[in-house]
Amino acid sequence: MANEDFYTEAMAAIRACDREKATDVATRALAAGVAPDDMLKLGFIPGIAKMGDLFERGEVFLPELVLAADAMTGAADVCNAALPEGAGQKKATVVIGTVQGDVHDIGKTIVVAFLRANGYDVHDLGRDIAADKFISKAEEVGAEVIGMSALLTTTMREQIRVLEALNEAGLRDKYKVIVGGGASTQQWADKIGADAYAEDANDGVRKINQLTGN
Amino acid sequence: MSKIWTRMGDGQAVEMTSDELRKDMMEASEDAADKGKVPILEDNEIDKLMEIFSAPWRVIGVEPGHEVPLTKDETACTLVSSQLSSGAHLPISREAAVEVFERVFAFDTMELGWIDYSFKPAKPMVSLDQVSIERLLATTVIPILYGAMPNMGLYYTPDGPYTNPADLLGMMKVEEAREEEMKAAELCMEDMIFVCKRMDEIGADGIDFDTTASAGDADFLATLKTVEELKKTTNLGIEVGMSGEFILGMHGEVEYKGKRLAGMFPQDQLKVVEEAGADIFGPVVNTKTNKSAAWNVARAVTFVKEVCKQATIPIHANVGMGVGGTPMFETPPVDALSRASVAMVEIAKVDGL
Repeated sequence: MANEDFYTEAMAAIRACDREKATDVATRALAAGVAPDDMLKLGFIPGIAKMGDLFERGEVFLPELVLAADAMTGAADVCNAALPEGAGQKKATVVIGTVQGDVHDIGKTIVVAFLRANGYDVHDLGRDIAADKFISKAEEVGAEVIGMSALLTTTMREQIRVLEALNEAGLRDKYKVIVGGGASTQQWADKIGADAYAEDANDGVRKINQLTGN
Repeated sequence: MSKIWTRMGDGQAVEMTSDELRKDMMEASEDAADKGKVPILEDNEIDKLMEIFSAPWRVIGVEPGHEVPLTKDETACTLVSSQLSSGAHLPISREAAVEVFERVFAFDTMELGWIDYSFKPAKPMVSLDQVSIERLLATTVIPILYGAMPNMGLYYTPDGPYTNPADLLGMMKVEEAREEEMKAAELCMEDMIFVCKRMDEIGADGIDFDTTASAGDADFLATLKTVEELKKTTNLGIEVGMSGEFILGMHGEVEYKGKRLAGMFPQDQLKVVEEAGADIFGPVVNTKTNKSAAWNVARAVTFVKEVCKQATIPIHANVGMGVGGTPMFETPPVDALSRASVAMVEIAKVDGL
């Protein structure tokens, strides 16, 4: 079987949102001598990128996106295990949540799926999260990035509290902070001193890639 | 080359050349056409948009005779709620605010709604709102609607009885998430029908279902089925306004009369809204904050023009903070807002705003 056939099969497994098939094709490809980073770069990553594109076009939906991200994680685990120590595709650790007072988390859930699909280790705190919880979780898991969502103009100011709490704890420079959510803008991110603003889930991945040098 | 003063999608002022504006407009129209599978704007429509954006005046208006009805959603909150909620925080009642919109701002229809503006919290307060509607019907001449959002998210934890599908999806429990969504939709529908029938009882002119489908396709289904029921059993006029330009597939497989709701763009949303029996449709096109106002208006107009072309009911496009080509800013700049409004009327040919 040619390498290209394995890449095609990898893409199809992601499109089918099938973790079992994805890990199976990864295992068979590695056994046949395909380089693990080639399987990721030429098979699985294009597969998940296609899913992101289809999601934005309204052609696949959130349940499929979440399952595709899970299939991607399974395949990446197989490929990463075959790479030399330290050469794995695992990217930065991200702690993410919707700020205190705000229970809107659909958008944040989509961002989490996109980040996981792109190899980030994501700790999703959920919604209505107090500033100190963002920080304690980031410290606990050794995160590099803190992501905050707020849908409403009435709750987006809570993003300031998280930044203030980081400053008070002397931890501001330790983390890259990215904000998003319905009413947020780049202007808002600049005003409150966040490191980046994400317009949507794809933009979130792009910005975190930039912030973490991926 | 002289520059034209305009805005970005987040409201920032920016200067652009004519060529840059035209390029943005064409790119945006192509983006809408590609995503929504609708035709791009024609050359003369791009020329008209250029005229709108090149006008040297800060505020512009439609040509005489092209005026359209202005319908205000989100009740009278703009006057009574705080600045944190895009309001003026005036110490007046909601009823007085509605009267101000009629007599001072010359709005053509208005609505009243509970301050939280969702059907669920409005339900236990409906007798109070019935009294307010009754009074407004006696003191105003414009049509008075009752407005609220389905806001199906309020039926999930921590606010409601059902497990949050976002949590279940995170655990890969797709079928369980879908079941919870359908249960939430049933309960949401019950509450909406209860409130709307009380409004019919008191003689309200209609209902505005605002920001529908915000919790995804099951939320939209609940609204459509509610509209269907109300049209069978009441005399209420019904407007359905959207929350986004495409229906988020939280469930992914919900259908209405054999049509999958997830992924529907405005012209497809219109068709199911018409089938449900609504009288007015309010399409939404979301603003991209990192693109210019010209880009956003061209994109919004491309979508809405097709909606108007296919519609058999009046189209009242949502034009305001973050939608309809308007910048995402608590108080949208009047220059950008007036340009978006004019483009919707003169190019998309909307029936109202």
